[in-house]
Amino acid sequence: MTTSSVKSAQPGAGDSARPTAPPKATGRRRTRRARPDRKAWLFLGPFLAVYLFAMIIPVFYAIYQSLLKVERSGPLGLGAPKVVFGGLDNYAIALQQDAFLEGFGRVLLFGIVQVPVMLLLSLVLALLLDQISDRWAGLMRATYFLPYGIPGVIATILWGFLYVPGISPITEMLGDLGFQPDFLGPDTVLWSIANIVIWEFAGYNMLIIVAQLKSVPQELYEAARIDGAGPWQIALRLKIPLVRPALILTCVFSIIGTMQLFAEPLVLKKIAPAVIPDYTPNLSAYFDAFSNANIYVAAAKSVILAVVAMVLSFGFLSLVTRKQRSER
Amino acid sequence: MPQPTTRRKVLTWATAAAAAPALAACGESAGAARMTKDHGRKPGQKVTLRLWTWVPLQKAVALWNKRNPDIQVVAQMVPANTSGGYQKMHAAVKAGNPPDLAQVEYYALPEFMLEGGLTNLSEYGADKLKDSYVDWQWKQGVFSGGTYAIPQASGPMGLFYRKDVLEKWDIEAPKTWDEYRAAAKKAKKRGSYITAFPPSNAQWFASFPWQRGAHWVRTEGDTWIVDLTSPESLEVADYWDGMVRDRFVLQTQDAQSAFYKALQTGELVTWPGAQWYDALIRGNAPRTKGKWAVSELPQWEAGAHASSNWGGSSTAVLQGSQHPVEALKVAHWLNTNPDSMKLLIEAGYGWPAAKIDLPKSPLGKPDPFFSGQRYNEVFQVSDRNVDTSWRYAPTTTQSFTHIQDNLALALVGKGSFVDALKDAQTKFVDDLKAKGLKARSAR
Repeated sequence: MTTSSVKSAQPGAGDSARPTAPPKATGRRRTRRARPDRKAWLFLGPFLAVYLFAMIIPVFYAIYQSLLKVERSGPLGLGAPKVVFGGLDNYAIALQQDAFLEGFGRVLLFGIVQVPVMLLLSLVLALLLDQISDRWAGLMRATYFLPYGIPGVIATILWGFLYVPGISPITEMLGDLGFQPDFLGPDTVLWSIANIVIWEFAGYNMLIIVAQLKSVPQELYEAARIDGAGPWQIALRLKIPLVRPALILTCVFSIIGTMQLFAEPLVLKKIAPAVIPDYTPNLSAYFDAFSNANIYVAAAKSVILAVVAMVLSFGFLSLVTRKQRSER
Repeated sequence: MPQPTTRRKVLTWATAAAAAPALAACGESAGAARMTKDHGRKPGQKVTLRLWTWVPLQKAVALWNKRNPDIQVVAQMVPANTSGGYQKMHAAVKAGNPPDLAQVEYYALPEFMLEGGLTNLSEYGADKLKDSYVDWQWKQGVFSGGTYAIPQASGPMGLFYRKDVLEKWDIEAPKTWDEYRAAAKKAKKRGSYITAFPPSNAQWFASFPWQRGAHWVRTEGDTWIVDLTSPESLEVADYWDGMVRDRFVLQTQDAQSAFYKALQTGELVTWPGAQWYDALIRGNAPRTKGKWAVSELPQWEAGAHASSNWGGSSTAVLQGSQHPVEALKVAHWLNTNPDSMKLLIEAGYGWPAAKIDLPKSPLGKPDPFFSGQRYNEVFQVSDRNVDTSWRYAPTTTQSFTHIQDNLALALVGKGSFVDALKDAQTKFVDDLKAKGLKARSAR
């Protein structure tokens, strides 16, 4: 609430000099309202400019590029290649690549397992932090949040050292106990990646849930205690329903993040042959663009990925809110 | 009086701004953003050329710079080939600010051709230089009558073996792949491995079907024919599959610390490798000095002398260079001048593409590391016996990755090597089609 909005809420304030025509006053009021609007745009300007050039324009450019193709003639295409409008050809090429589609299957499987596990962990941590005394809570919060401050690439390099046999103390210890763990095999590397992602983001999601818990009025808890609810009941019947919006938000972010899985497999690729260039859809688009020089196919793959991520996150949202609506 | 900004206006601007690139992009070029152009050089005018490479050419370049103050070359180190170097080059060509000279391997030349990334050097008099080079290596850079790259070195294959160990076990250096397998059995009994099998090195693996007489790609008219599953290829795939299944080979990536450690300790007793592996073994297993020798690759047919090539690269002038004449001069000097070649040989750059007189070259000397053998005589014979009709498709990087990935999966027990090649065959054809080329499977 700004002062100007308060002002405009009192019609005629400050122009008692002109006691004329109330109908015009509405028009005047509108212009006066536009003033703060203009100021707001001034503040939003820098952000919008960057957003336009770094997000909106590239999105349209990628869609445009995905509709182009190169026409070549001769076995080496030496007959002066031309860029022509290719319609949906690139989409057809991308969707006919089994490996690209398998990548989607892989990230879906990853999401179905990793997102619930991570959010459950975040929720448990948040509830525990909410219980313990404030002096420790700050330190613990910072500790859990710390991994989020480490860039994904660096985190993966660090974890990579813990996965590679011969270097890793973990495999050595397990080896002494008679186990032969293979963290980088074709069946296990996906879960090794899941482990890294959980380590990176559980603390971040926990913080969002904690913030929501902090905004709960204390009277509710008092009322619950007076009604004879113990800490378990308060947690299950009161806190978890109350942090539902935070859970939905973190879940949507996690779904989008999962679809875009990229840095972790790219770094692990160096030490795990099981991570193929088409391991995730994002990786597939990257290799097409920068390694195979198929920029237009890569653009199509990016658009497909964006559409799938959108459908999944909005689908999830509508599913959850429909439940809410029916509950009311 | 400034108009108040309305939401609608902002949206209009946004749409206009978003439409701008679409309108501008109508001028998308399929290849390089800038074409090579000779600006001519007045005597005494100084030009500076950039060279991108991952091969240690610095000493040779420094020598050139000392002798040619007017044409200075700055050698910039980039990541090796597919680990980033080629990506950088493709991006620089597309952006119109490429280096003048670049290290491009023979297999990657068609890919650069396809993107229009190389300068036709015939226009600047390259064809006159042809006679200084070995014919098949020169032809690696020739496409539809034009010369697009100056060859630097190749990698004729041979068998590096631990002479001391094989003598102790009373085994002859294997002459056929059957003998090689028998030797592998004996090595296994003594707790060693006959060789390493790198899980992801399709270029190394391809040298064996090549030696067997397979041709993975060929062209008919303007169509690419992909043939990974010829009887020759499958025989080779089966052979190595058996070696892996019987645990006769150590699964480890070559040219990595674990591989060198195995060479040092004698865990590996042979290594079928290219000529340029001499420097790698010498540098990374110094304690094995005097214990190595070289023989020709084991043969698929007794008494034959079939050979193949692994690696090899050229010096190319990228599309967009503003000094092609000077760049060509540098490329030719680098790869044929005796002083330059001496420095390159010391750096272990491979088998020279320039014609050499072996007895007079530093390559022809007996080498104490290889038990006093004139081991390069073996590679000279190997180089002459390379089947030079082997070709590379313009999607080799991408398609060899499929082969590599499939072999890696087979190594951990998912399917056989034959299945790996069959699956890669389909993907190979798809890669070519995605490039807008005509392609089909051979069978």
